[in-house]
Amino acid sequence: MAKQKDIEIHPWEPYGAAAARVVRVRTEELFAHEAGVLDTSDIERVHDMRVATRRLRAVLEIFAPCFPHKPFKEALGDVKALADALGERRDPDVHIDAMNAFAQGVLATQRRGVETVVAGLRARQAAGNEALAEALAHARENGLRERLLGLAEAAEAEYAR
Amino acid sequence: MKARKVKGLDPAAPLADNAERIVRVRLDELGSFMPRAADPSEVEALHDMRIAAKRLRYILEITGPCFGAYAGTAVKMTKDLQDLLGEIHDCDVQIPEITEVLERLVTEDAVAIATAAGDVSDLPASAVRRAPHRRDYAGLVALLVHLRARRGLLFARFLETWREYERKGYRARLEFAVSERSEPRPPAPAPAPDATADGAGPAADGAGPAEAEEAAPAEGAAPAEDAAPDSEPDAVPEDPGAVPEEADAAA
Repeated sequence: MAKQKDIEIHPWEPYGAAAARVVRVRTEELFAHEAGVLDTSDIERVHDMRVATRRLRAVLEIFAPCFPHKPFKEALGDVKALADALGERRDPDVHIDAMNAFAQGVLATQRRGVETVVAGLRARQAAGNEALAEALAHARENGLRERLLGLAEAAEAEYAR
Repeated sequence: MKARKVKGLDPAAPLADNAERIVRVRLDELGSFMPRAADPSEVEALHDMRIAAKRLRYILEITGPCFGAYAGTAVKMTKDLQDLLGEIHDCDVQIPEITEVLERLVTEDAVAIATAAGDVSDLPASAVRRAPHRRDYAGLVALLVHLRARRGLLFARFLETWREYERKGYRARLEFAVSERSEPRPPAPAPAPDATADGAGPAADGAGPAEAEEAAPAEGAAPAEDAAPDSEPDAVPEDPGAVPEEADAAA
């Protein structure tokens, strides 16, 4: 799993100043994971990007009062949509792994049923990949990264001194 | 589950004071699911408690270094609790999914063997030997048996973990830790030369301007609720400090 970058924070710094720094770092981390995320042969890529999305979404919500309301809500909505799409792809990945591990432990006569479940999960995985491709394209077209960095910039201008 | 609203957040006030408010609300939220979640059939309460644990974990991961040392311990304890609840949730998601697959195959096979039998007055048991999915059943049933048994074990571990946290004073110790600050408050900047012209100089104890003193609580003390701004900034969302809800607990 991708390790998150440590961000130095101080108890007495303004909440808004910390918000700017933390959101900027987590935004860059998210988009650093975009390359190769649609490759279903390497499920760790989508996992890393999903984790990065969760971290970003968490900090956005924790620091919500520090950002201009409307652009914040719009950016948060887009991050949520991306997180949902990553989840649609990731959930079958996880379940396929679990089913394969289970199949290793059961009798040969019991494997067929597990394989049937895996086949259904593979279909969900493919559909999830298509949805993820759309969500990534949407994020690029709507300049999500730039809008998030803009939020950080606005908070920095307002509260970092 | 919608996160509880955190009142009195102020972007210009110290990070630790705001984070303390968020942690206290999230900690309350987590505790509010007990004892309901101690009932194994309360699937929704267990799921909501997992989300509450996740919300608390995230705020502690980000702002834990602002507080007393126990905040760091609490991050790991909260993550362990969240992971355990996530494993239970995975079982709660998979059991109905596998049951549905099994039911679908049974329905398809029933139609198939009845159709194959044609115009008969009754169906011999041997007809099942030709059911299209006959080789799937053993595995699906084995999977259900495993999931149910595992869910039971995980739930027992969850109860044991929660009781252990109660014995160790998890909540009280975390509440105390977030009332502490990891660094002393920095000295107030020297006043500008003209600030003393009208006699309004710094406070005699060197605590800095009165406005700043109101914004931050004394070290080791929780901020009083009435010290918060009367109204929230326009930018305050409905659920500051909330974190994502998603089904993949294993990720």
